[in-house]
Amino acid sequence: MVAEMTAPPLARELPLGVRLAGIVVGLAVLGYVIRLFAYLKAGWEPTLWAYPDGLCRWDCQWYVNLAKTGYDPYPVPDLLDAGNWAFFPLFPLIVGALHAVLPWPVMNIATAVSILFSSLAALVAWPLLERNLRAFTLYAAFLLCGPFSVYFTSFFTEVLFVLLTNCVLLALRRGDHLLAGLWSALLSATRIVGVFMVLAIALDYLIAYRREGGTLRGFLPHLWRRPEIVLALLLAPAGCFAYMAFLHFYMGDALAFQHVQRAWGRVPGNPFEYLWIGLTDWPRTGLWPTTNQWLGLAAVFGFGMTAVLAWQRKYPLALYCLICLVLPLSAGMASMLRFVVALSPLMLPTMRFLAWGRPLFWLALLAFIIGDYTFTVGWLEGWLALV
Amino acid sequence: MSSAPSSPAPRRRAAVLALIPVVALAELGVLWLALHPHVTGGYRAYYIDQSTTCLDKPVSGDYRLGRTVSFLPDDQPAARKLRVCGWDGPAGDGTHSVGTSSMLRFAPGEQAGDLVLDIMLSAVDSPDKRAQRIVLTGNGVSIGEATIPNNTQRMLEFAVPAEALDPDTGQLDLTIAFPTATEMVPRDSDTHYRAIKLLSVQLRRPDQPSSEGPQDDPAALRHRAGPDGPKA
Repeated sequence: MVAEMTAPPLARELPLGVRLAGIVVGLAVLGYVIRLFAYLKAGWEPTLWAYPDGLCRWDCQWYVNLAKTGYDPYPVPDLLDAGNWAFFPLFPLIVGALHAVLPWPVMNIATAVSILFSSLAALVAWPLLERNLRAFTLYAAFLLCGPFSVYFTSFFTEVLFVLLTNCVLLALRRGDHLLAGLWSALLSATRIVGVFMVLAIALDYLIAYRREGGTLRGFLPHLWRRPEIVLALLLAPAGCFAYMAFLHFYMGDALAFQHVQRAWGRVPGNPFEYLWIGLTDWPRTGLWPTTNQWLGLAAVFGFGMTAVLAWQRKYPLALYCLICLVLPLSAGMASMLRFVVALSPLMLPTMRFLAWGRPLFWLALLAFIIGDYTFTVGWLEGWLALV
Repeated sequence: MSSAPSSPAPRRRAAVLALIPVVALAELGVLWLALHPHVTGGYRAYYIDQSTTCLDKPVSGDYRLGRTVSFLPDDQPAARKLRVCGWDGPAGDGTHSVGTSSMLRFAPGEQAGDLVLDIMLSAVDSPDKRAQRIVLTGNGVSIGEATIPNNTQRMLEFAVPAEALDPDTGQLDLTIAFPTATEMVPRDSDTHYRAIKLLSVQLRRPDQPSSEGPQDDPAALRHRAGPDGPKA
C-alpha cells in the first residue's frame, strides 16, 4: 500500500525485488559520491586517488592493520601497551581474506564489502519494517547516505554487526530460534555485545512458550521434546568462544580483549554517573553542546527508544538494547554515538516513525542526505563526538 | 515477537541432541582456558591483577656511560632503547610519564661501580597545582627522591650506588615511582595518571662531565642541524 503510494508510475510496474534493489543501489551510489565531495573538501589529501582511503580515521586504522597483519602478539610490536585484541575478528577476517586474494588496497576492499553489507542489511530489514517502502527507503538512506554512513561504508565492524543483527531479528520474527542462534554466533564474533543476543533469544523463546500455555513444571520435558532452543542458546555465543580460544593459543590470554581495556584507560564505573557527567559537561563558551554532551544525548536517545521497545512489549529486544547501552557506558562515554546508531532494534522503529507521513519522510530523507555531507566533513575535521 | 516453537523431526532432533554436549563441552573448555591464562608475570601484573601501571617491555637498554639521551622528539631511537614502561610520547615538551611509576633501563655492558644520574624533567601542570614527588630505586635499592613544584623544570643529580646495578651484568633498571601522580581529567584511569615530563637523562661515572640537558645529546644536535643550521 505504502509502496504504491510513493513509487512513480513506471516503478510500480517493476517487480518489488527490483524496486528495492534499485533504491539500495541508487542510495549507495549517491552516498559514495556525497562522501567523495566531502572528502575533496575536508580530506587530508583531497584527491580522487586518496579516496576512500582518506576516510579511514580512528578505529578504522586499527581494522586496516588488523586485516593486513592480523592480531598483535605479546609483547606488542612497537612496544605499545595496547594490543589490537579488543577488536573482534569476523569483519577484519573477511576483509583480510579478500585482501589476500585480490590485488586492491585494503580500504577499497573494505569499502566495497561495507557498502555490500549495508545494502544487504537494508534488504534483510524489509520485512522487519513491515514492508513499508518509505521506512525501507529511509533505512537504506540512513545506512548508505545518512549522517553516520561513514561507519557503514568505510571499515568499521558496525556494518556487519547491523547486518547480522537484522538476520537474527528476522529469524526470531519467523520463530526459527536455531537459525537465530547461528546468526548470533557470527554476531558474537563481530562485537562483544553480540554475545548478549543469547539473552534476547532465551527471553523470546520463554515468552513464546508461555503464550502457548507452557508451565514452569512442564518446561524441562518440553526442552527434552524440543531441544533446538538449547543448541541455539549454546551456539549464540560460540563466535566469542572461538575468538577466546584463538587468543589463548595465540598469546596466552583468552580474555585479552577485556583485559586490554586497561591500556585504553577504560575505568569501570556507574554508567549513569558517566552519563550525568557527560550531560553536564557544559560548553565553556557559546551554546553548542560539548562532545560529551553529544555522546550523552545519543545515550539518552538510546535509552528512550529502549523504553519504547519495552512499552511495545518487545521485551527481548529491549533487554538486548539495554545491555548494549549500559555495558559500554559503564566504561565511559567514548563512541556512544556509534554504538547507538548501530543498534538495529532502535533504528528500525525510528525509521518507521520518520516514515509516518509523506512530508516527514521527505524531510527526513533530505536531512539524511545533507547530514551525509556535513557529518562526513565533521568526521574528517575531527569532530570527536563521531569517533 | 516470534511464533510458537515448532517440533523438530526425529532425525533432526537426534542431531541436535548429539551436538548439544559437543558445543557445551567445547565452551566449558574455553571457559577453563579463560580462567587459566598462560602469560608472563608482567602481563599478569598489568592487565589481570592491575597491581602496576608499568607494563615492562623487552628493551635492550643499550647505552654508553656518559652519553646524554634526549627525550624530546629529536632523539627517539636512543630514548626508545631505554624506555621500559610508563612513558608516553614524546610530545614537544618531553616524554610524559603515564601511570604511577615508570622505568628506564641502562645496559652499559660493563661493571661500572658507583655512578651518577643526571636527569632533566619538569612536573606536569596538574589541575590542583600539586607538586610532584618522585622516588627512584634500582634493583630494590633506594637511589633518592625529590619534589618538583607544579609546572616547573629541574635538573636533578642522584648518586647511584653500585648495589643498585645488577651484579652480573651491570645493568640499571631504574624505577621512578610517582606517589603524587594525578588524574588530568575526572575519573581517569590510573594508567593515564601524569606526573612528570622527562627531557633528558645521563648516567655517568663521577669523573665524567655532567649533562646540561637534551642539547647535549649528539644525535639530537645532528637532527637539528639543517643546511643552514648550526654545526654540531
